[in-house]
Order: sequence, then structure tokens, then C-alpha cells
Amino acid sequence: MSPTKRTVINEKPSTGNKPSGEALAGINHIVAIASGKGGVGKSTTAVNIAYTLANKGLAVGLLDADIFGPSIPRMTARIEPVDYQQQQGTTAVVPPSFGGVKIISIAMFQSKERPNILRGPMAGAVIKQFLSQIQWGKLDYLIIDYPPGTSDIQLTLSQVAKIDGAVLVTTPQDVAVNDVEKAMALFKTTRVAILGIIETMSYFICESCQHRHYPLLSGGGEKLAKQAKVPLLAQIPQETTVALTSDRGIPIVLQYQDSRTSVEYRKAVDQIEIKLAEGKSLDDGFHLVWRR
Amino acid sequence: MTTVTAISQHDERTLRVAWQDGLEKLFDVVSLRKKCPCASCAGGVEVSDTVRPVEVKSVGRYALIIVFDDGHRTGIYSFDNLRQLQ
Repeated sequence: MSPTKRTVINEKPSTGNKPSGEALAGINHIVAIASGKGGVGKSTTAVNIAYTLANKGLAVGLLDADIFGPSIPRMTARIEPVDYQQQQGTTAVVPPSFGGVKIISIAMFQSKERPNILRGPMAGAVIKQFLSQIQWGKLDYLIIDYPPGTSDIQLTLSQVAKIDGAVLVTTPQDVAVNDVEKAMALFKTTRVAILGIIETMSYFICESCQHRHYPLLSGGGEKLAKQAKVPLLAQIPQETTVALTSDRGIPIVLQYQDSRTSVEYRKAVDQIEIKLAEGKSLDDGFHLVWRR
Repeated sequence: MTTVTAISQHDERTLRVAWQDGLEKLFDVVSLRKKCPCASCAGGVEVSDTVRPVEVKSVGRYALIIVFDDGHRTGIYSFDNLRQLQ
């Protein structure tokens, strides 16, 4: 093993992030919105973070990676789509833009009555197509709404896309926190930085007494944040307007910009932006061709 | 979780990996092939001494895969495992 000529590849990785694959090449930051548990408000959070970023004038894409229970199209249903075109003869798909956010979801490619029944490898293949064949164009942010759990899809996402950071979503009670800890472990294993925690359904303000009530207990988000040594980015209250706007198909941060929820999401987005701008340890992908 | 800062070909059958904390390791590619961590190889495989990589690529931020000239390409070598590998 005599040392001979040395090919140096990527000796000093730059701090910029070039995602793998041409389809993702124009994207500056990829952020995962995840949680081990279902029903904690991941999609609501992904949608509102995407639109909060778009409100700042940034170019944003939103990828609904929940193959089995896609809900993002419904949450953005009332926003008129534009630019939708599937080029004939190519496999490239240009994502439709809803109010300034480009969105892709499996729900756009299926009928409402027929849910997706797929085995793991097929689901992984769909995700790979989303990452390789969607023409996202130039984006400041691609927000990926992760499905719950730590399985094929989550692994594929972490392997194929260069995720710059993950935001973990939890509700305040312990059972949710435990599941989020698992998601956290997945990101640690795949070396994705955890940007912070967003606690949803944190409290409820009673209209008659104006006091805060805690139907799902309190402290879960804070506990997780302390444990992972990451910031608690926001505590989103239970507001009827959140559910109402989601069901109506217009995100709350577009319709009620002064609501507590919108303010909390703005706080979260500011911190995410700062943290990503600092992103020092994030490395580029590499490709080394062996010389004989 | 120290970040990998450099991956390069050291010589004809040696891969070099450097970590941010200054650790540098040289890996014999033939023994990497023998120790392939993929599900079908786990437990050890007989390989020819002449096996060489065709290319080395990153997997996400946490690992690399080696495409070998015997056609094998399913081993994901995580940086953590490489760090511990003797």
C-alpha cells in the first residue's frame, strides 16, 4: 500500500447546499417537517411554514411526502392553481403553483375514491420520482411534509434528498413526545440537523373567560427541545380558525395574518432562517471515480 | 457525530476518509468489499483480491456507497461505522 498520487475530492466542503440530482439542483434549502406520530399537525405546520416563507417574498415549494394520507391539496384547495403543465413526451412534471407556493402531492395523481395501497418499495419509488422528476426550478426553500413514522419513505427521503434540517412537530402530551423521539433518532442516524421543535395544540383560549386552558397537558415541546438541545420554535394554540382555514383550503397565515397562530409561525420561520444561514457543518454530496 | 470532511483515493486499492476532528483513516477496498454491510453480504463474502471500486458516492449526509467492479453496489457504509471499522 504505497502512497501514490492522491485524488482529492471535496477536500473543503462549501457551506452551500447542492442537493443531489438535477431536479433538486436549483433548491437552496430543503427542510423536513416531521413527527413520529400522526395527527399532531404536521401538514398544517408544513403548509403554514411554506406560506409564511412565501409571504416574505421567497420562492417556496411544498412536497407532500405522505403517500398514504396526503392532506396538503385539501388544505390549499381554494388557492387557484396556475402553471400546471405536464410536458408531453417527457417525464418531467412542472408543479402547479398555489398562491406562490409550488406544490406536489400524490393526491394530484390519483382519484379521491381510491386510496393508495402500496408496499414499501413502491412507496419509496414514488418518493424517488418526486425528488427526481419534478421540475421545481429555482427555490429558496423546499418544505417536505414527512409521513408519520420511521420507515421506507422517511429513509428514502433522507438518503436521496440533501435535507438541510428537520423541524419536529409534537403535541404537548407524553405519548406524542415519545414518538417524536423516534423521529429524532432517525434524523440523527441520517445526519440531518434538527432545527427545532414546534409544539401544536399547546393551549386553548376560552372565549368567555379569556384564560388559557391546556386540554393536552403542557410541557412536551419544551421537554423535547431541552433533551435535543434545540430551540422550541413555536407554540401553536388550538384555534378554531386553524381547522376552519385548513378545511376551507386557505392556510391561516394567508387569511388571518394577525392571529396568534400566524405570529407563532412567523417566529418559527425567523429562527429556521437564521439557523440555516449559519449551517456550517452541512456538506455537499460527493462522487469519486476510482482510478486504476 | 463528527462530520466527514474529505473522501479520496489514496492509492490503487486504498480509500482515505478524513473527519473534522482530524482523524484520518485508510481503508483497503478489498476488505471493505469483504465486510460489505448489505443484507445479502452480511456475515462475510468471498471476493477476489482484484476487486476494485468503480466509483464512490454519497448517500444523504451520513454514508457512502461503493460501486464495485464485480457489480456489487448495495452496501451502505455509514461514516460512523467506517470510523469504528478496524
